[in-house]
Amino acid sequence: MNAVNEGANLAASSSNAKMAITADRLNRTVSLGDRELVILDDVSLTVAQGETLAIVGASGSGKTTLLGLLAGLDRPNAGTVSWLGETINTLSEDALAKKRQGTVGFVFQSFQLLPALTALENVMLPLELAADADAESRATEWLGRMGLGERIDHLPRQLSGGEQQRVAIARAFAANPSIVFADEPTGNLDTDTGNEIIELMFKLNRDRQTTLILVTHDLDLAARCNRQIRLARGKVV
Amino acid sequence: MNFSLILRFVKRELRTSEARILVLALAVAVASVGAVGMFADRVKAAFANQANVLLGADAMISGDRELSKEFLEKAGASGLKTTESIRFGSMVTPRLNGATTDTAGAALSDVKAISAPYPLRGAIEVRGEPSAADPRGERIKLDPLKSVPNPGEVFIDERLASRLNLKAGDAIDLGKLQPRVAKVFVEEPEVAGNFLSSAPKVLMNVSDLAASELLGPGSRASYRLQVAGDRADEFAAAIKPKLGPGQRIETVRELRPEVRNTLERSEQFLGLAASFAVLLAVVAIVLALRRYLKRELDTATIFRTLGAARRQTLLHFLGQFFVLSLIACALGVALAYVAQAGLAYAVRGLFASELPAAGLAPLWRAFATGLVLLLGFALPPLVALASTPPVRALRRDMALPTGGGIVAALLGVIAVLGVVMLQAQDLKTGAIFVAGIVALVGAAALGAAALLWGVRRVTRARSRSAWQMGLANLDRRRLSTSIQIACLGLGVMTLITVGFVRTDLFAAWQKSLPADAPNRFLINVQQDQVAPLQSLLKERGQDANFYPMVRGRLVAVNEKSITPADYPNERAKRLVAREWNISSADALPKGNVILSGSYFAPEARDELSLEEELARDLGINLGDTLTYDIAGERATYKVTSLRKVDWDSFRANFFALVPKSNLDTLPKSYITSFHLPTNDLKTLPAIVNTAPNVLAIDVSEVMERVRSIVDQVAKALEFVFLFTLAAGLLTLYTAVVSTQDERRYDTAIVRTLGGTRRQVRDALIAEFSLLGIAAGALGVFGAIALTWALATRILKIEFIASPVVWIVGLVAATLLTLVAGWLGTRSVLSTPPIRVLREG
Repeated sequence: MNAVNEGANLAASSSNAKMAITADRLNRTVSLGDRELVILDDVSLTVAQGETLAIVGASGSGKTTLLGLLAGLDRPNAGTVSWLGETINTLSEDALAKKRQGTVGFVFQSFQLLPALTALENVMLPLELAADADAESRATEWLGRMGLGERIDHLPRQLSGGEQQRVAIARAFAANPSIVFADEPTGNLDTDTGNEIIELMFKLNRDRQTTLILVTHDLDLAARCNRQIRLARGKVV
Repeated sequence: MNFSLILRFVKRELRTSEARILVLALAVAVASVGAVGMFADRVKAAFANQANVLLGADAMISGDRELSKEFLEKAGASGLKTTESIRFGSMVTPRLNGATTDTAGAALSDVKAISAPYPLRGAIEVRGEPSAADPRGERIKLDPLKSVPNPGEVFIDERLASRLNLKAGDAIDLGKLQPRVAKVFVEEPEVAGNFLSSAPKVLMNVSDLAASELLGPGSRASYRLQVAGDRADEFAAAIKPKLGPGQRIETVRELRPEVRNTLERSEQFLGLAASFAVLLAVVAIVLALRRYLKRELDTATIFRTLGAARRQTLLHFLGQFFVLSLIACALGVALAYVAQAGLAYAVRGLFASELPAAGLAPLWRAFATGLVLLLGFALPPLVALASTPPVRALRRDMALPTGGGIVAALLGVIAVLGVVMLQAQDLKTGAIFVAGIVALVGAAALGAAALLWGVRRVTRARSRSAWQMGLANLDRRRLSTSIQIACLGLGVMTLITVGFVRTDLFAAWQKSLPADAPNRFLINVQQDQVAPLQSLLKERGQDANFYPMVRGRLVAVNEKSITPADYPNERAKRLVAREWNISSADALPKGNVILSGSYFAPEARDELSLEEELARDLGINLGDTLTYDIAGERATYKVTSLRKVDWDSFRANFFALVPKSNLDTLPKSYITSFHLPTNDLKTLPAIVNTAPNVLAIDVSEVMERVRSIVDQVAKALEFVFLFTLAAGLLTLYTAVVSTQDERRYDTAIVRTLGGTRRQVRDALIAEFSLLGIAAGALGVFGAIALTWALATRILKIEFIASPVVWIVGLVAATLLTLVAGWLGTRSVLSTPPIRVLREG
């Protein structure tokens, strides 16, 4: 509970500071041949630096689509997204990719580790893509911090689900991002392991002043965040 | 581009089955292309060496006057072995008891004054002591460096020995000399060339020539310089422009058309085998690539999500791919080297001499082939891969980036065309192959659509047997099924075609050289001798056609006078400089095919049918008029047809044919050819009795050489076929396992939902049987079309339908697909479904 309170204090104290994320009237539709399906309808929100935000809602409510837009993985049909005061929609595909390096980190439900690479190599990857000369030592350090110091040479399939997600978390945080996006981070894990992972993420959020935005079905997990927004049929309710 | 990252990825990738199969497929591709190419080159070189035996050298300069020493120096400078000789005709009479005798007869002989080393290729063969195994005595090859006649000695051939009743130790009169016969030989290499070699042969030492006084001023003799060595072709090309009047240079390819055609066709056959290896390789690569790229999609997504720009992602994948290709190509080249050495070892007994060492060019070609093939097919999908939207990390089910579609296909086709052409070294063959592939892929798409339509109708029925389940599986994976049918079909087509080329097309070629092909020509037959000779031959079962022949020189085309200087082409110059044999035939002679125009009617006048290659060299078209100088008279004919002539046939063939009536009033002789069995000792004396002036020319030696080349090609093809077969089986296996992942997953779901092992097994069997039948049918139809095109358009031999091969092909394709499919997927039956589902 401490973590939640501390997070809340932090959010309150920085309410006037530069917003980590600002989303303004986001719309996302997909074309189904003769008709348009509205997935997100005029969604606006702001997330302060260091804040934790849970996006909840039923299946098909648009949670993951919203996460994709906020994370700059997808582009809205209308509306804007800003990171730390800078609008990202106007950036070219490659400039946006570059911007993601060092600004955002990701934790996915299905871990998204590369099966052919070892735990260490998976964590090193974002650092190497950003041409970080200390990639190996930083990745080793992060895996040690995740309690996986002994398993850095293991391939993902040699690790349990919880261990794989810890590798993914190390990968997300290793590049020192300002914002971490998590899509159902406990969705593929049993309750105990899920809790363990959540503790870890909140601790990192606290320690590193990272903004954490997660999509979840899990109401307990959502309750631990500073703030929740609920989506229904593409609208914030 | 982070090179260490690329290397690390490659190292890790090589642990995955997808990357391994791709590397293996490419390595096999490179290995088959390299091994076949290298082996074919070695065999071709061996054939060329054997064929050079017909010339006794790799190239020969001849002239009617002494040759300039410059040629000899040039050859020496090129590192070639050389030997000089002088050839002329002379009477030979035996000396009995040291005196010339009138009763023992005399024979016009073909005399060659030689010096060691002789010959440069092949050897003079003599007979050893008669033995029980070989009553005539085993043939022994003489050492070219040591065994030329010493001064004061001659070697004579068996024909002269038997005609003049001579044996070793006897003396003969040869000009002013009376040399002793040191050896009686069976054969000496130079049997090709022109018909002059019909006279019995005498070999003498060149140092005796002056003393013999055989050659005085104005004597007709051929002065020759023979050369041999790696750079002989280069030398021949360099010497050509320097030749003076009356001089010429010959290489074996310019010799008898039978030999030239045999060599060219041997190269075509082996080149074809290599092209098939390429085709199979392409199929394997396309399939392996598809599976590999699917896996790489996840990597691309992660790259993009983690902030890699499109360019960075593309460079990474290109680098990774390039390194993988290098590894595969290097592996393939190593395999190729070993495989061709194995092939050469396997056929070691078939060639008279050891196979010449392999050059490295085919290996480089194979290496380049691998790179071109892989990059040709992979480049467009890689570009698409680099553009994977990062949001795919959240939505795995979203549509895949389109892999360059038409561009990919087009690049692939260009790559294949380039590679096949490199192999076949012929635009037309490459084009036929690629057209075949495109047609087959189109047919596969149609065939698969029809099949799936049928499947849907069957599976709509209520009751769901395991078989229907299997069929439904095919329908659900429509795209994969179509691709599999196309690839399997292509594999089957290739294998059947290779089998067909090996047996039937080859048989058709051999058939063009039957055992009873004519081996003797009779020339200089006079008009009044035609009927008696014809009936003499008829009594011996020979239905010989006698062709009238007049000699004429082409002096004008379309009324415009011509000289050799008007033509840039060497052959054209020669054709204009010399007299042609002009003949006549009421009907188109056997082995001739009209290519354009129509063959003149028997009653026509002043029309002419011309051989097409010659027409091309001289730039003569249908409708042109040709004027000849025939025995001082000018005769003009209109070209009304162009003919292709079967030069392999050993029949009397002519460049120019005119109606009979045009030759009626002209002085002419007749020519015919017939088959003389080796044991027939009576026919020739009978002919000489009937027509003493007639010259009988023996071409059986040339035929024997040609036939032995054909036999060796047959054996070489058998081995190359085995190699192609192995590559083909790997391709079939790759095709079948290409959908293994999907099938494993589907099967796991079915088993989770309560499907029994038996149901799953039956469904798999149904699926693979149907795939096999569809692919087999497609492959067989493709093979029929392809072999027809190859036979009629490229190899220009008769197309023989062989339903047995087709039926066997269909059945074998079905069974092989079933077995390969079963081997590739049976593990799903024993793997717990949960494991498969967890692995996704």
